[in-house]
Amino acid sequence: MNPTIPQSTLGRDIGLVLWQIRYEQRAYWRNRGRGIFTFVFPIMFLVIFASLDKGQTISSRGNIAFDDFFVPGILAYGIIATTFVNLAISTAILRDQGILKRMQGTPLPRWAYVLARIGSATVIMLLMTVVVLGLGVVAYGLQLRASTLPGLIAALVLGTACFTTIGIGITRFIPNAEAGPVVVNLAVLPLTFISNIWFPIDSLPQWLKTIAGIFPIKALASSLQYVFDPRHHGAGFDGADLKVLAIWTVVGVWMMLKFLRKPMGDVG
Amino acid sequence: MNSIPTQADELAIEVRDLRKSYGENLAVRGVTFDVRRGEVFCLLGPNGAGKTSIVEILEGYRTRNSGEARVLGIDPASGSRELREQVGIVLQESGVQGDLSVYELVEMYGRYHVRQRPVDEVIELVELNEKRNERAKKLSGGQRRRLDLALALVGDPELIFLDEPTTGFDPQARRQAWSTIRSLCQLGKTVFLTTHYMEEAQFLADRVAVMRGGEIIASGRPDELGGRDLRPAEIRFELPEEVGLSDIPGVPEESRELVGARVTIHTRQPVRAAQIITTWALDGDVDLAHFSVTQPTLEDIYLELTGSGEPERTTVAEEATA
Repeated sequence: MNPTIPQSTLGRDIGLVLWQIRYEQRAYWRNRGRGIFTFVFPIMFLVIFASLDKGQTISSRGNIAFDDFFVPGILAYGIIATTFVNLAISTAILRDQGILKRMQGTPLPRWAYVLARIGSATVIMLLMTVVVLGLGVVAYGLQLRASTLPGLIAALVLGTACFTTIGIGITRFIPNAEAGPVVVNLAVLPLTFISNIWFPIDSLPQWLKTIAGIFPIKALASSLQYVFDPRHHGAGFDGADLKVLAIWTVVGVWMMLKFLRKPMGDVG
Repeated sequence: MNSIPTQADELAIEVRDLRKSYGENLAVRGVTFDVRRGEVFCLLGPNGAGKTSIVEILEGYRTRNSGEARVLGIDPASGSRELREQVGIVLQESGVQGDLSVYELVEMYGRYHVRQRPVDEVIELVELNEKRNERAKKLSGGQRRRLDLALALVGDPELIFLDEPTTGFDPQARRQAWSTIRSLCQLGKTVFLTTHYMEEAQFLADRVAVMRGGEIIASGRPDELGGRDLRPAEIRFELPEEVGLSDIPGVPEESRELVGARVTIHTRQPVRAAQIITTWALDGDVDLAHFSVTQPTLEDIYLELTGSGEPERTTVAEEATA
């Protein structure tokens, strides 16, 4: 009785990631509370505020339509909600319920599980992007231009990489699952008011702008707004903001690895 | 390393002088034991005796301070995927993705394993057929525990760890769980069980190790634990007033004592002794009230071994001064 265990292959492991994304998707959409909190809220804010501000222009930005600023701003908020907020809150729950520990005891490699969690959040993020931009084009006069597509893709890729990894990594600072929404909102909500999400920060005092400039929320919102600003005609790249997102992606990966390296069982 | 056939191939688990401490608290204080392939091995002991520390070291969740450990020939601290392919784990308490159904969960956890059992067969084995499409969060405690077992079994493991599998169960649910675990043994699996229920150890285990204060204080088959099989049986009865202790015929005995009218005879040959005494009583028309023959129970032995059953806490400082 000496059974040899066949080795898994990379191809099979990638298949496992894709399967796991499907299960993560099912679990996400069945949990109504989380779906509303992370997916429905941003869309609701878009419809409410864009309807309130209809027809307004922004004088500090060459009188562009307010919606050309607000739709990409809300898209940034939606990306953060479906990646960072979603992953931080759910990872804390998975940890507290012992599901991470259970997963650790299975042959599924840890990288594959983490990749599937990030992949699933990315699927939700893409859906959010389609809904927000679709609504923007259909209802709020947003113009999707082929020429700025590279800038849009760059902002989406870096934004997702940055906010998924930080989302998992920040779990280390969430003491228990109930504190999840508190910690996450404390990290996000105040910054959104100085980060071009709800209104342009052009007239804010310099020190607030400086603080906002450190964090990736303003960088994501501004790089998306750059893409949809009708005054810009290039490929839609805003180098400085993308650089901030890239730096935070490195920080996010480091935070995530730090969280994941800790064994799930060793208490005390 | 794997190519050298040794006696170790017969062993599912080898543990040598295992030690684990949390800060000042010595949880495991030099434990040594083997588990053979195909047997049900049980760590029995009160809460806080160090059982979970040992099982979680063997499962790869905790790191040992010193000593040797091999699970299916592999060091569990290595985090080896090959080992996780062959081991099924039922943790003491661990959640499950509650928004997925029983069927989906068994299927999902099954996929992680290169070798797996059919989903329906596993659900059948743990008797969750009627709940197969129920979301996990809607299951009762006993059903959840059976789902835990299903998730541990779906990878067709060689070795299954069960940490306190029936804690908090009502007696009926416990019986049901036992019969499921028994059916695992018929599949030829090795089972490593921890429990603080003596009954559970007696019913399920081929071999039991009793732990107290981080140490194994006795081990053996449940029926011979602590020399239980070697201990004299007790014959008890009450003598009528007119009969004295010396009137009882000579029997193969250890000792006899008389308290009031009550006689207690300790003997290693209870059948012979009982026959001599009853024959004498019937022939002489002596009325022996409350006649009984008893062997010490596992419970007697366990309570004797573990003291009052209180968990022991010893600190490094205390041991240093001892």
